[in-house]
Amino acid sequence: MTTHRAPAGGGEALRLASVRKVYGTGDNAVAALDGVTLSLAPATFTAVMGPSGSGKSTLLQCAAGLDQPTEGQVFLDGAEMSRGTETAVTKFRRQHVGFVFQQFNLLPTLTVLQNVTLPLRLAGRKPDRNRCTALLERVGLGDRLDHRPAELSGGQQQRVAIARALAARPTVIFADEPTGALDSTSAREVLALLQETVEVFGRTVVMVTHDPVAASYAGSVLFLADGRLVGQLASPTAETVAARMTHLGDAVSARRAAVGA
Amino acid sequence: MFGVALRSVRSRGSAFLATFLGMFAGAVILMSFASLLDTRNGNGISAADKDTLATMAMVIGSLALVIVTFAVFSTLTLTVRQRSAEMALLKSVGATPGQVSRMIVGEAAVLAVVAAVLAMPVAVLGGWGLLKMLGSSNRVAGDITYHFGPTAIGVGVGVTLIAGVAGAALTARRTVRMTVTESLTDASVGSARMSRKRVIAGWVFLAIGLDCGILTATLFKGKGLGTTQSVAGEAVIWSAIGMAVLSPALIRVVISALATPLRRLGGASGYLGVLNVRQRTQQMAGALTPIILFTALGSGTLYMQSIDNSLLAASGRAATGDDKGVETLNYVVVGVICVFAAIVLINSLVSATIYRRREFGQQRLVGSTPPQVLRMVSIEGVALILTGLVFGSIAGLVAVIPYSIARTDSVIPDTTIGIYLAVVAAVVVLTLGASVGAARRAIRIPAVEAVAA
Repeated sequence: MTTHRAPAGGGEALRLASVRKVYGTGDNAVAALDGVTLSLAPATFTAVMGPSGSGKSTLLQCAAGLDQPTEGQVFLDGAEMSRGTETAVTKFRRQHVGFVFQQFNLLPTLTVLQNVTLPLRLAGRKPDRNRCTALLERVGLGDRLDHRPAELSGGQQQRVAIARALAARPTVIFADEPTGALDSTSAREVLALLQETVEVFGRTVVMVTHDPVAASYAGSVLFLADGRLVGQLASPTAETVAARMTHLGDAVSARRAAVGA
Repeated sequence: MFGVALRSVRSRGSAFLATFLGMFAGAVILMSFASLLDTRNGNGISAADKDTLATMAMVIGSLALVIVTFAVFSTLTLTVRQRSAEMALLKSVGATPGQVSRMIVGEAAVLAVVAAVLAMPVAVLGGWGLLKMLGSSNRVAGDITYHFGPTAIGVGVGVTLIAGVAGAALTARRTVRMTVTESLTDASVGSARMSRKRVIAGWVFLAIGLDCGILTATLFKGKGLGTTQSVAGEAVIWSAIGMAVLSPALIRVVISALATPLRRLGGASGYLGVLNVRQRTQQMAGALTPIILFTALGSGTLYMQSIDNSLLAASGRAATGDDKGVETLNYVVVGVICVFAAIVLINSLVSATIYRRREFGQQRLVGSTPPQVLRMVSIEGVALILTGLVFGSIAGLVAVIPYSIARTDSVIPDTTIGIYLAVVAAVVVLTLGASVGAARRAIRIPAVEAVAA
């Protein structure tokens, strides 16, 4: 399943080539990802959806370098994801990957501004204070620079996380259920900000979600079932996504029943 | 709530390990010394031996009592704080502050009794060893029969229980007073300020220590060896405890002075380490207490002994039984208390570091390599070591200088620097070994899992 095939090396923010991820060995082996190939153009916003157990999280973790695929390759901005030690992978990730998690994962002892500058510091780059402050103003937290995460609401924490992800100018920002812990108003703000990171900042965003409304903010939706890409939807709306998910759920249940029989 | 306490202890064994180990080691020490009182009540013991056994048990035992109580207290404070979030959760589902307090105190009581009971067999061996040592150094007759009885058990269980319950009650009071939101914040950051009562208590202990130091050099100058030493010993203990009580403020002073060099030394890791120490002075205090006690008692007692040894060598007379007895006693005290402090130190560092697994995971997700995490932990360790050594040494000097004046009329004792270097080396190895070792374990699991846990 390919959304867009560009000449090798150019015009691709993220490419997965026949990525397989198998957990367990022998008879217990389960393929969480079963040969996923995809390519995403820069400055696009893609949602990944699928029933639970479809391999969404595994896909995100393999693409973001948090987990190593059993087979296949991952390319970010044309460069192949490092393998080997955590240190090597981390150094690669610093350059290419930003994260937004369901549970925010801001460091509790650091202030809002310190959290945003941290990725740059860790990478040994001099943090541009003005730019980081500007990012925080952009996400509506210009007056909270010296607060600690525990003093902020969930929505505010998630906006800090988005500013942090933007700070290092990564190739791709991966968002794992970014609205999963938020009320609907905060969720809308966060999704609008993710759209902005694509449209204004030119980043590429990949978002795993189970919420059709969240997915409708994306430019396109990829559907995953049993570790395989099974469909794509351009210019999604909450209704079309929901309809497709219902259909997919039925198909998966039917197939699982057939395999089980 | 006692039922909840029991289940809580049973189902979360590892979380209570640190408190348990501290109580266990403390109970062993207390009962070993207290059993000398049981032994004293045996048949056919001469009056002189009875005196010696009583002195040994009372003087050293009371010293151990102060230290054990204080250490159990500080370990409990640390472990209860780590559970602020859990307390907040209990309160948010409708537990009253009283119920939460009773749960914390109940847990501590259960742990104290279990620790004291399990400590008994070890204490029997410890007490027996003490008696043998007293016998072989001719302090008492070699053929005294060893007894382990009601005094040992009463003191062991009683003190461990009282220290545990009092420590838990005090910590609980602080924790449950906070609102739900406050305690959630506290769980992650920890408030930076010490209460007024704590500051006053710290200064009072320091004043007592200083007073004992002054008395050593003045009133007790030229008194018997044992008396002068025991007053000087009190000087070390009380100044060390005063320093330990004030340690959150002390580490703040040290980290302000060291911020720039540490940041330069450690880059991003140094930057994070300095921020963490600043934000967690209260948690750091849990590990500082044993470092200060170890440094002060180790260097203080060993230097006093070394002053006496060189005096004796200079005088040219042979060592009497009394000299030897005091020497044995000193080494036993230093040995026992330093081992105890080392256990508490390793304990609190390992438990505090493992607890930070999630934080390390978050850091790795933002781009920390494993070496960067370990470097950060080492930098924090360096801040701990320096603070502990500086203030522990000052507490030691509060006794050593007056003692040197009392015994030799010179302010600076004419002995070796070797003892001090050995104490420093031990502190460095223990602190860095425990914290970096625990951190290494804590980052072994993948970052995504660490964050989800």
